[in-house]
Amino acid sequence: MMTEEILRVENLRTTFTTSAGEVKAVEGVSFTVNRGEVLGIAGESGSGKSATMLSIMGLLGDAGRISYDSLSFMGENLTPESVKSIRGDKIAMIFQDPMTSLNPVLSVGYQLEEALRRHKWQGNIHGRVAEMMTRVGIVPADERMRQYPHEFSGGQRQRLMIAMSILCSPELLIADEPTTALDVTVQAQILGLLREIRKDTGMSMILITHDLGVIAGESDRVIVMYGGRIMEEGTSREIFGSPSHPYTRGLLHSLPKADGKRERLIPIEGQPPDLLNPPEGCPFVKRCNEAMRICLRRKPEALTLSETHKYSCWKGAEESC
Amino acid sequence: MLTVEGLTKYFHTQSGTVHSVDGVSLTVSRGETLGLVGESGCGKTTTGRTIIRLYEPDKGCIIFDGHDITHMNQRELLPFRKRIQMIFQDPYASLNPRMTAGDIIREPMIVHHVPKDEHTDRVNHLLKLVGLNTEQAGRYPHEFSGGQRQRIGIARALAAEPEMIICDEPISALDVSIQAQIVNMLEDLQKSLGLTYLFIAHDLSMVRHISTRVAVMYLGSIVEIAGSDELYTNPLHPYTVSLLSSVPIPDPEKSSQRKIIPLKGEIPSAINPPSGCKFHTRCPNAKPECKTITQILQDKGNNHLCACPFV
Repeated sequence: MMTEEILRVENLRTTFTTSAGEVKAVEGVSFTVNRGEVLGIAGESGSGKSATMLSIMGLLGDAGRISYDSLSFMGENLTPESVKSIRGDKIAMIFQDPMTSLNPVLSVGYQLEEALRRHKWQGNIHGRVAEMMTRVGIVPADERMRQYPHEFSGGQRQRLMIAMSILCSPELLIADEPTTALDVTVQAQILGLLREIRKDTGMSMILITHDLGVIAGESDRVIVMYGGRIMEEGTSREIFGSPSHPYTRGLLHSLPKADGKRERLIPIEGQPPDLLNPPEGCPFVKRCNEAMRICLRRKPEALTLSETHKYSCWKGAEESC
Repeated sequence: MLTVEGLTKYFHTQSGTVHSVDGVSLTVSRGETLGLVGESGCGKTTTGRTIIRLYEPDKGCIIFDGHDITHMNQRELLPFRKRIQMIFQDPYASLNPRMTAGDIIREPMIVHHVPKDEHTDRVNHLLKLVGLNTEQAGRYPHEFSGGQRQRIGIARALAAEPEMIICDEPISALDVSIQAQIVNMLEDLQKSLGLTYLFIAHDLSMVRHISTRVAVMYLGSIVEIAGSDELYTNPLHPYTVSLLSSVPIPDPEKSSQRKIIPLKGEIPSAINPPSGCKFHTRCPNAKPECKTITQILQDKGNNHLCACPFV
C-alpha cells in the first residue's frame, strides 16, 4: 500500500508565559500522519501531548507562542488563517469531556446543524445531522435532536461529539483523551464506533491518551512524549514489543502484568517533570535509572533503530559508538 | 474483621429515590485486601462511605471486629473511627489547602487524644514511612505533586494507627508512572503494619494486582465475589464477563486476538432500577424469569459467589 502523508509537523515549539516564568510545553516535536492510519500519542500530564495538538489547530489563543519549521496538511501550508477553515471540516477534534464541549442551553440538533452551517454545507443540513446521529447510534435522531445535552449520558454525549466531528467527512480526526472520562464498557463501545467509522471512511486519527492499553489496541504507530519532547516513536509492535527508551520501558514496567502474575510493580521513581525548571539535558534525566553525566547537560538526538523506530537517548548513542 | 449484611443506602432527591446501595453483603478478613469494582454510579464509593458511617445506612448492619457499629452514636463510634480510616481519590480536594502537611497529619492525633509531646516525632516518623522528607512538614499542599499529596493523605490515615483502611480510588487521579509507586507503598505498609484494605477502584488490572479477593458491583448490588485470580480467569456473571472483556490490554498482539463482549445500551437509572436481576435489561443471556428472580449470591464452588442462577 502506498503511504500518503496528510499531516507533517516539523520542529514545533510552544511556549507559555506564566507569572512564575516561561513554560516550554512543546520543544521541537516533529511527526507525520499518513492517510488511513492511527497515530497514538502517549504521555502523562505535562508531557505536551495536548499542547502539541492545540498548537497545530491554532486553538491556543493568546496564551501560547508557537514556532515551527514546517506545518502542512495535505500538501498545503497551515497558517493561523487557513487552519480556521480546515478546523471542523477537514480536521476535526473531539475532547475528553463531552459535557463541557457542548453548550447546555442549545438543543443538540441546533449545535450539530451549526457546525454544518459554519462550513457552508451544500445540501440538506437537517438530513445530514440525522444521518450522522443515527450513524453513532443516537436514535430516533429526529426526536433526540430536540433534546439538550443534560438529557444524554456521558457515553451518548461523546457519541454526539463524534457525530459532530464526522459531519463534514474529515480526513483527520484528532481525539484527545476521548474515553478517559468514560467507564470501560462505554469506552469499548466508543472505540469500536470510531474503528467502524475509520473503516467506512478511511479517515486518519491521532489518538492522544495516557492509557497505554487504549494506545496498544487502536494505534498503528505510537509516539511517546515526556516533558514536551518525543522520547520514542515506532509502530505499535515496536513500542510495545521492543521499547527502547528508558521512559517507555519504565511506563510499561509500572503496569500490572496482563497475565495476572502478582509480581511487584516497578515504578518510575521521582516526581513528574517541573516544566518551569526543566533540566538542561534530557527531560527524563532526574527519574532515569540509566542516566549518565552527559544526559544532564545535553539533549540527546534521535537514534534510528528501523525505518519506523526512533528514540532519543544518550545510552543508546553510547552503545552504538 | 468486617462483616456487612444487607447494607442499603437510599438518597432522596427531587426526581425520586436513588437506590445507591441495595442490600450489599460482604466480609473482609484481617490482613486481606478486598477489591470493590464497578462502573461510575454503581454504588461502590457509597458502600465504602456507609461502612465507616460517613453516610447513615437505611438498612442492614455493619459488624467491625465483633461489634455492631450500625447504630452507634458519635461518641461510641470514636474508637472505631480510629481503627478504620479512609483515603480518598482526589489528592487535591481531600487536603485542606490552608494547613501544612505536618498539621494535616497531626490532626487525627489531636482528635484521638495522642499525648501532645509525641506529635512531632510521630509526624516525622509517618512522613518517612510514606517516602517524604521531614523538612516537608512545613509545606502546604499546593507545593506538592499529586503523588506526594496522596502520600500525605495516606500518612494522615496512618496517624490514627488504624487496623483497616478504606481506599477509595486512591490512584485514579495519578499518572501511570506514579500509580505504581503508591500501589507498592500500600502493599509494603500492609505487610509491615498488618493492615486490612477495602480497595475501591475502577482500574480492573490494578485491582487484580493488589486484591486477595474481588467483589463486582452493578447498580447498587454485588453480582459476583471470588478470589482475585479465580474471578479474572473464570468470571461467571455475564456482567463481569463483559466488563473484563472491555479492559484494554497494553499489548497490541494480545489486544487484537481477544474478543470484546460489548454491553448493549445504557446503564439504567438507579432511581427506577429494573426488577428482578438488575442486569437483565442488558444481559446477553437474559431469560423471561430474570425479571422476577431475587438477586442472591450463591456459592458456585471454590468460594466463588455469583448472583446469576443460570451459570
